Amino acid sequence: MPTLHIVRQNAFTSDDFKQCLQVTRINDIIVFIDDGCYNLSHTLIKTIDSKANISLNIIGKHAQARGIAIDEILYNTINMNDLVQLTLKTSRVITWQ
Amino acid sequence: MKKLAVVVTTPPYSNLSVTALDYIETALNAGIELVGVFFYQDGVIHANQQVEIASDEFQCINHWQTLHEKYLLPLHLCITAAEKRGLSDEQSQNIHSIFTVSGLGELVELANKADRVVQF
Amino acid sequence: MTQNSKKLTAIVNSKAPYSNTAGKDSLDIALIFGSFEQPISLFFQGDGVWQLLQGQDGSNISVKDYLKTFAAFEFYDIENIYVCQDSLTERNLTHYFHIDDVAVLENKEFAEKLAIHQTILRF
Repeated sequence: MPTLHIVRQNAFTSDDFKQCLQVTRINDIIVFIDDGCYNLSHTLIKTIDSKANISLNIIGKHAQARGIAIDEILYNTINMNDLVQLTLKTSRVITWQ
Repeated sequence: MKKLAVVVTTPPYSNLSVTALDYIETALNAGIELVGVFFYQDGVIHANQQVEIASDEFQCINHWQTLHEKYLLPLHLCITAAEKRGLSDEQSQNIHSIFTVSGLGELVELANKADRVVQF
Repeated sequence: MTQNSKKLTAIVNSKAPYSNTAGKDSLDIALIFGSFEQPISLFFQGDGVWQLLQGQDGSNISVKDYLKTFAAFEFYDIENIYVCQDSLTERNLTHYFHIDDVAVLENKEFAEKLAIHQTILRF
């Protein structure tokens, strides 16, 4: 019963991502979009428990637009169609903006 | 087949709305049923006919129009949020015709009809 | 009402009450769900917890005090109200709220409670 977290803001600007991580559960899915992509550079992202099996994804063109390099070992690069499919596959969705 | 509803709270001059439109267009092109889009907070500015975005920039309204015509996508405007932002279907009549003047009750309906509600 | 009338909706309140309209916009949605007899739960997290603080008076700054309407939640059958303990702790706040019957939850419980809902809006 995973939750999809769509993260649109970054932790340099606001507490949205921090609050997202407060309610993230095992097997949840996080997708970074818009300025949420900048979270890849924030230390907060390192606090995610690697044992919690949380899937970290980023919209490729949103990252490219911002000149953000994606470490393919840590993050899945996805497209908008993948995000739409994730919305339907997960049990609920929260937008953090 | 699962159905979607989308709540748009971002204005037409923000790139965040480009993302919202990209999501909606992608879903519709993939054959997913969208029961409607609900415009709330600054999202209602999309319906203002008098908004002028420089011609070399992304024109949200053209995309809403295409989706509304091609997929008969219902575009619901929260009238309370709209009136606060100078939009009216009575005095000034500046609401684009593709939008349906609605209230928050419509959001309750959409949330009931849809399997997922996504906020942008 | 259409099908799935027992679908559970949650609103997460994340903004302080006065400098933007998020709290009021969220309240309007909660009351509409309540008046349509649709279940709605309210979560307060981050700066959203300031909405519950005792002793506020928006009239000092010409804000119509929508927070007073929180007292009417029981008439709308809005009974599931949850507050994030971490957010209170960060702000050095205690459990004195201007409404009763609020459940203060640790992160894990707060997350579990949120995850029973099918639709989640956040303001």
